[in-house]
Amino acid sequence: MPMIIVEGLRKSIRNGARTVDILKGLDFTIPQGQFVAIMGASGSGKSTLLGLLAGLDTPSAGNVHLNGTAISYLPEDKLAQVRGKAIGFVFQSYQLIPTLTALENVLLPHELNADSRENGLGRARDLLRSVGLGDRMDHYPVQLSGGEQQRVALARAFILRPPIVLADEPTGNLDSTNGAHVLELLLNLNRTEGTTLVLVTHDPVLAAYANRRIVLRDGLIIADEMNPNPAAAPREAVLTEG
Amino acid sequence: MAALSYRSAAKIAAREMHSSRGKFFFVILSVAIGVAALTGVRGFSTSFRSTLLDRARSIMAADLSARMFQQPTPEQEKGLDEIAASGVEITPVTELLSMASSAKTLDPLLVSLKAVDPAKYPFYGEVELSPAMPLKTVLNADSVAVADDLLVRLNLKVGDQLKIGTQLFRIASVVVNEPDRLSGSFAAGPRVMISREGLEASGLLAPGSRAGQRYLFKVPRPRSGAPISDKAVADLKARLEKLLPEAQIIDYRETNPALTQGLDRATSLLSLMSLVALVLGAIGVAMAMRAHLQQRLDTIAIMKSLGARSGQVIKIYLLQTLLLGAAGGVLGVALGIGVQRSFPFLLAKLIHVDTELHLQLSTVLTGLAVGILTTLLFTLPPLLDIRGVRPILILRRAVEDNDDPFVTGIRRKITKNVAQLGAALLILAGLAAIATTLSDSVLVGQVFSLGLVGVLGVLLAASAAVLAGLRFFLSKTRLHLPSSVRHGLANLYRPGNPSAALLAALGMGVMQIMTVYLVQKAVVSELHISAAPNLPNVFLIDITNDEIGGIRALLKSQHSVTAEPELLPVVSSRVVEIDGVSADKAKLKNFPRRMLRTISLSWSAAAPTGTNVVAGKWWAPDEKGAVVAVEQRQAQRLGVHVGSHITFAAQDKQIVATVVALMKPDGQHAYSRAEFVLPQAALAGLPVVWYGGVHVNPDHVGELQRALYAAFPTVTVINVAQALETVRSVVIQITYVIQFLAAFSIFAGVIILASSIAGTRYRRIREVVVLKTLGATRRRIATVFSIEFAVLGLVAGLVGVLFANLIARVLLTRMTVAYHFEWGWSLGGLLGTAALTMATGWVASHRILGRKPLEVLREE
Repeated sequence: MPMIIVEGLRKSIRNGARTVDILKGLDFTIPQGQFVAIMGASGSGKSTLLGLLAGLDTPSAGNVHLNGTAISYLPEDKLAQVRGKAIGFVFQSYQLIPTLTALENVLLPHELNADSRENGLGRARDLLRSVGLGDRMDHYPVQLSGGEQQRVALARAFILRPPIVLADEPTGNLDSTNGAHVLELLLNLNRTEGTTLVLVTHDPVLAAYANRRIVLRDGLIIADEMNPNPAAAPREAVLTEG
Repeated sequence: MAALSYRSAAKIAAREMHSSRGKFFFVILSVAIGVAALTGVRGFSTSFRSTLLDRARSIMAADLSARMFQQPTPEQEKGLDEIAASGVEITPVTELLSMASSAKTLDPLLVSLKAVDPAKYPFYGEVELSPAMPLKTVLNADSVAVADDLLVRLNLKVGDQLKIGTQLFRIASVVVNEPDRLSGSFAAGPRVMISREGLEASGLLAPGSRAGQRYLFKVPRPRSGAPISDKAVADLKARLEKLLPEAQIIDYRETNPALTQGLDRATSLLSLMSLVALVLGAIGVAMAMRAHLQQRLDTIAIMKSLGARSGQVIKIYLLQTLLLGAAGGVLGVALGIGVQRSFPFLLAKLIHVDTELHLQLSTVLTGLAVGILTTLLFTLPPLLDIRGVRPILILRRAVEDNDDPFVTGIRRKITKNVAQLGAALLILAGLAAIATTLSDSVLVGQVFSLGLVGVLGVLLAASAAVLAGLRFFLSKTRLHLPSSVRHGLANLYRPGNPSAALLAALGMGVMQIMTVYLVQKAVVSELHISAAPNLPNVFLIDITNDEIGGIRALLKSQHSVTAEPELLPVVSSRVVEIDGVSADKAKLKNFPRRMLRTISLSWSAAAPTGTNVVAGKWWAPDEKGAVVAVEQRQAQRLGVHVGSHITFAAQDKQIVATVVALMKPDGQHAYSRAEFVLPQAALAGLPVVWYGGVHVNPDHVGELQRALYAAFPTVTVINVAQALETVRSVVIQITYVIQFLAAFSIFAGVIILASSIAGTRYRRIREVVVLKTLGATRRRIATVFSIEFAVLGLVAGLVGVLFANLIARVLLTRMTVAYHFEWGWSLGGLLGTAALTMATGWVASHRILGRKPLEVLREE
């Protein structure tokens, strides 16, 4: 069964008297373990699509199924549970909680969603070490560079071992070195864990690493093609399980 | 289901507070100011009221007085002993008329004798003697203290002998002032104070003598040291009324209507101010928490995107709210105690009373509880709003509707969101409950609670309507307006700008402040009238009809007489029938039947000065029929009302008079002594004696007494200047305290409003940055914001001032105080609000203008 199913997805917003159609009807499926890049120019609806896939927003029509569950019209609390357990999200602007340390940020999804018997703290520490931040666990986001903050966000996204990871321009705010490192970590996860990875980007270089490219324009899919020869990972990177 | 532990929630809550200490201090301060105002005002007013009531007690020299017209029966004596055994102190005061003479003059003089137990009397206040000394050292079995009028008339001095009854007494001192002079009888004859042993020795108390007996009662103070409660006095009064059915029992509050009125109004006003402080504090909290949660939207959205349920997020911020409420409450109570202690120092120049300050635990706990409760209540709506925060905010910041999200939210909340509606009702119910508990005045508690419910709803609707109207105006005139004006007005509809909420909060705050101001101004104005310096302070007794012309001329010629004299004609009569029932069978309440045989009638063409008609209507000046206006309390005792018929008999004439009005005197004028007033024509031909009241410069009363005695030796002069001065000074003190506390409440309210406005500054930061980046000058940005602030302030001021006048009118009407629309102050309130909004907005925002855009963005 596909990991992600999108059926007749539409999204419109009202702006005063006007209605703006952002997504005009999308249909596609993503099998487990696939790495999909969603591309398009600014205003094409990429981020909106990602938000709908993550259950962060409600479509105007259509539905999204994640791992067999139709999520689009679930009550907010149920949706929160799905988000917490099934999806890891990586934002372009990191979106760390500024008043929590790196360790606490990584631990937060565990505190919100997991069974208390699991040793979240140990796993959080291991994850931070694996992204190279073993000595910065007690630092606050304001004390970390952009690349370091994004690595914390990555670790946070993985703490509950989600089957799906969604990333919105994860390297958009990073320099090339940090960007490469973050991409490496993501790709490694996709390959070693079989995590389904959906990545929104406008950068064709980034998209070259994906198995499949879906291109949006004006709210519609204009291209959906497999990439038979995805680019190799920038360098070896390890994101090991704790 | 996994739950966010309290420990984790508390950690996140505390960590946020620690990282944004400055912003949270603002919230704590808002709570603290509200609680401080509440604790300070309430605490001080409770202490002051207690001191005031002690002074009021001195006017009766007791808590209660029972005027008896015959000796108590053995059962009644037993009842009084039981009362004494329960801790109540009792002392008798006997008053009677007698003749006194001296060896120096041939003619004896009618004197007003007052026998007291100097060891106990007076329970409150002091008898002022000249030379000054305690009463108990002056009065013993063979000495007396006399009024200076007696010395004048009998040509005596201190140390001389005076014969009373069969006994000779030494004049030991001059009575300058008795604390209960006003509540005693105004009998003819100068005052002579004598001990009870002296009275026994004089032989005057033979069986059948017409001595008036008063028992004075003092309720024991509670062991805690708290003031004597009104309930304790009322309970004893009820007990005495049952024990002594023929006695007139009055409590200290009834001795002087002006004072009673002053105290009642002070209570109402002080309650009002406490409640206003409470609501203002709550407004400050609500606005601060709202602004705080607005800034937390990103964090809340992130947490939700990570899988946090609304309940988990609410838990975090609920804990934060509790911490803020508790911190604000503690700080507020500490500030309030400081305020309470500073009041006497600040007022020392205006009022000369040592206010005993008890640190009342109940006031402290109330302040703390109210602080936490109002914080919780008023943060419920923004907390519940967390449920509506959509995680998509992280990806897309655009707000979909151009409608004011708050108003849209209100509609949505009412139609779809039972929880928010429930929260709103809970807030109102909670505030009403707090108001009713805090209020010492049922009237104020009721009006306030109901007013709050109605006014809040109307204010929100009015604010939304005004904004809609402005937007309509803008849509029609858009391009014709200067761009900065257009921009400033459009800011009111900035997406996410809760203009309606801020307007409602500001409007409510202005309304509260103006209401306090308007009500206290009207009450103080009336109190000043009732404590006017030219009210009669010397009374003339037993002026015959032949003497009245001469008296008028003499008073006119005296420079020390500073106002027109008030002259009261009195016709002696008796009551024969009440509503067809003969006097010996009529049902009376706390009124001895034999008193119906000595009734005084007066006449007046119109309601006399200082007398209010409380039921019915006064007659026309040319009325010739037999109608009567009866003093309210007297009417209650006789069981009559408007429409009743009373048959009076005077000489051999019978007058069947219909009661057309009930009247309530203010106790300050000569006519205050009149209990039955008829048209002059009804009393034509009957013998008349006159009583007069004049205002005399207190330093020249002696001169007037001598002049009157020389020309009219049979006219008695009763000098109550000192006693009235006590009443007057108490009433004036009430006015000072009311004004001072009103000013404090207003000041606190202004600070709270300012903090609410300042809390909106964070939304402007990004706008300023963008404008500057686009090339806008500081002057241009300043103009845009000034227009926004000014319009906000004017609209809030208009709504607030209008409702303030409405509420003030209702409250004042129910307090029977005249209401006048104050154009000047209302306009001042309107413009003041606009000025305050602009000034505060600028003080809070000016720093942003001077900084580089990137600096600001980085900090954000």
